[in-house]
Amino acid sequence: MTFSAWISEPINWIFLLVGLVVLASGFRVVTAKNVVHAALLLVAALAGTAGLFLMLAAEFVAWVLVLVYIGAVIVLFLFGIMITRAPTGQDEGLDSEKKVVPALLSVGVFVLMAWGSIDAFGTTLVGATGDPISTELIGESLLGRFVIPFEVVSFVLLAALIGSITLARKDLTPIEEEEGRRV
Amino acid sequence: MTFTIDYLALAPELVIVGTLLVVFTLDMVLTRPKKFWIATAAVAGTALAAIPLVILGVQGETRSMFDGSYVVDEFALVLKGLFIVAAYLVLLMSHHYIESERYYQGEYYFLLLASVLGSLVMASSRDLIILFIGLELTTAPLFLLTGWRKGDAKSNEASLKYFILGVLSTAILLYGMSFLYGLTGEITFSGLAEATAGRGDEPAMVMAILFVIVGFGFKIAAVPFHFWAPDTYEGAPTPITAYLSVNSKIAGFVALLLMLYIALPGVSEVWAPALWILAALSMTVGNLSALRQTNIVRLLAYSSVAQAGFMLVPFAAAAVVGADLEEAFAATVVYLAIYAVMNLGAFAVVIAGARKTRSGELSAWAGLAQVDSRLGVLVAVFFFSLAGIPPLAGWFAKFAMFRSVMIAGGTTTVVLAVIAAVNAVIALYYYAKVVKTVWVDDPTGEFVEDVEAAPAVSLRLALWVSLALTVAIGFFPALVTFVGDASRVIAVGG
Repeated sequence: MTFSAWISEPINWIFLLVGLVVLASGFRVVTAKNVVHAALLLVAALAGTAGLFLMLAAEFVAWVLVLVYIGAVIVLFLFGIMITRAPTGQDEGLDSEKKVVPALLSVGVFVLMAWGSIDAFGTTLVGATGDPISTELIGESLLGRFVIPFEVVSFVLLAALIGSITLARKDLTPIEEEEGRRV
Repeated sequence: MTFTIDYLALAPELVIVGTLLVVFTLDMVLTRPKKFWIATAAVAGTALAAIPLVILGVQGETRSMFDGSYVVDEFALVLKGLFIVAAYLVLLMSHHYIESERYYQGEYYFLLLASVLGSLVMASSRDLIILFIGLELTTAPLFLLTGWRKGDAKSNEASLKYFILGVLSTAILLYGMSFLYGLTGEITFSGLAEATAGRGDEPAMVMAILFVIVGFGFKIAAVPFHFWAPDTYEGAPTPITAYLSVNSKIAGFVALLLMLYIALPGVSEVWAPALWILAALSMTVGNLSALRQTNIVRLLAYSSVAQAGFMLVPFAAAAVVGADLEEAFAATVVYLAIYAVMNLGAFAVVIAGARKTRSGELSAWAGLAQVDSRLGVLVAVFFFSLAGIPPLAGWFAKFAMFRSVMIAGGTTTVVLAVIAAVNAVIALYYYAKVVKTVWVDDPTGEFVEDVEAAPAVSLRLALWVSLALTVAIGFFPALVTFVGDASRVIAVGG
């Protein structure tokens, strides 16, 4: 398929637009000198990714991305920045001296993966098989075929929750313990 | 489509789930003087989980659930047994260590049991999703447990290093797995085996497999992905170090071998050379670095890197020359079982000894046998066993490894066998050096000689169990050959 044929389809305009937004905001996340800006730009990048999933008719993944990542994780980032009294203005310390090698490494990995994918799929259209997977179907298979990983994941979360509370909490002194407070 | 759940097949996992909930509830209701009940419940629950394993083993039938993605066969049972025995020993080692140093106890046992649950699930997994999540549940609690000594900067460093590299390796592994899924549309191992066969020349397939191997390379601390291991091992609480070097390493190994053996045998020309290089590098770099160590825990850390190299040898050797992988798989599982017992013993002895020396530095251990000859004997037994000296268990592990290599045959195999042999000799040097320090050298300082320094009952039990197993397996290797035989009949499921 030539580029002119590709671009003549309106759906691909949206794809191009969303893709460029993701790319630009992703780039700015790592180059921004202000942590709050970086966190907000991450919202744009994630929202764009959710848009790409929507275009693939994967509505569940798209909304999970919006709810969990934009709604919870980024908010946690912002809270973390506020609570730890990290500098919220311009911060030259965010710029690393050693940025060239990681940047080259990232570009290298990208080129490798892009080349691998293009080589594997090329211009073949991977058509949808059957109806788009609805959220209802995902819910059913999570509690049917995939019930074991689903339950096990809940233990991963529980362990992470309990462990991080323990590590983050302030230890009681022996005297406080004597007073009957439990550890 | 409805799926039925075989509760008997899931019973060991369910017992562990029950135990960790009991442990967590007990922690909330008990006051500090009664906290020992938590440890008791954890130990008892772990022992209880072995009962359904035995029942399933006696029945001996293969149970398969969810389209063959969760299989309880002899191989899974043997591994679950190994994980439970190792977890039992680690719990025994932990009890006094955690109590005397005033760490959070209930949460400690909760996280440790969660990790055990992950390894049990992983042993039964025959698809990418369960394998990945089981492995994550095995390692995620350990990120937190390595930082359990909150006041110690080294422990914090250990936790952070392990966490960041662990997350990185998980991301790489997941990339590889999603590429495999994208290329084949399959998640079950049996489906993958069919769909990947003969596609080893596709660049995307090569990339996916290499990503998977790099991801697992971090988990098993194989060179060149080992650099987190020494710092993490040194900073973590010692029972957690023992757990890291045994349970979590074996879990990583089993996951890697399951994938290569069952899901990707058709593309062995891709992963075999990578495995060969990993094995040779891990043995050589691990052993040469261990030579220079002055801290006994760091020495054991590098020794476990080197042992990972030995464990990779049979599989790498057989796959490179295209020999039958069954023999290599059995040899590796035998090696894993013996390594678990003797390495846990070595760490138990380090915990017991450190109560007297108050230090992990090797110089502080000089002449320990003069004040406590029993501890000296134990040091000699476990370290000589790690070196592979008959009649201790370690010799049979090395024997099984070399035997499977010789069965495979071929030039590249012989080269790897020579590298392994040279490394076995290097390893003997530093293991023997520890024994010499303990027995021959003069003490450099005072040893702590009070009631507090004597090993607790639970620790003594751990030492006795691992000592008995190490000696018994050495004299009667038939005790573990059934482990290898069980893994020969591995059911692919599906």
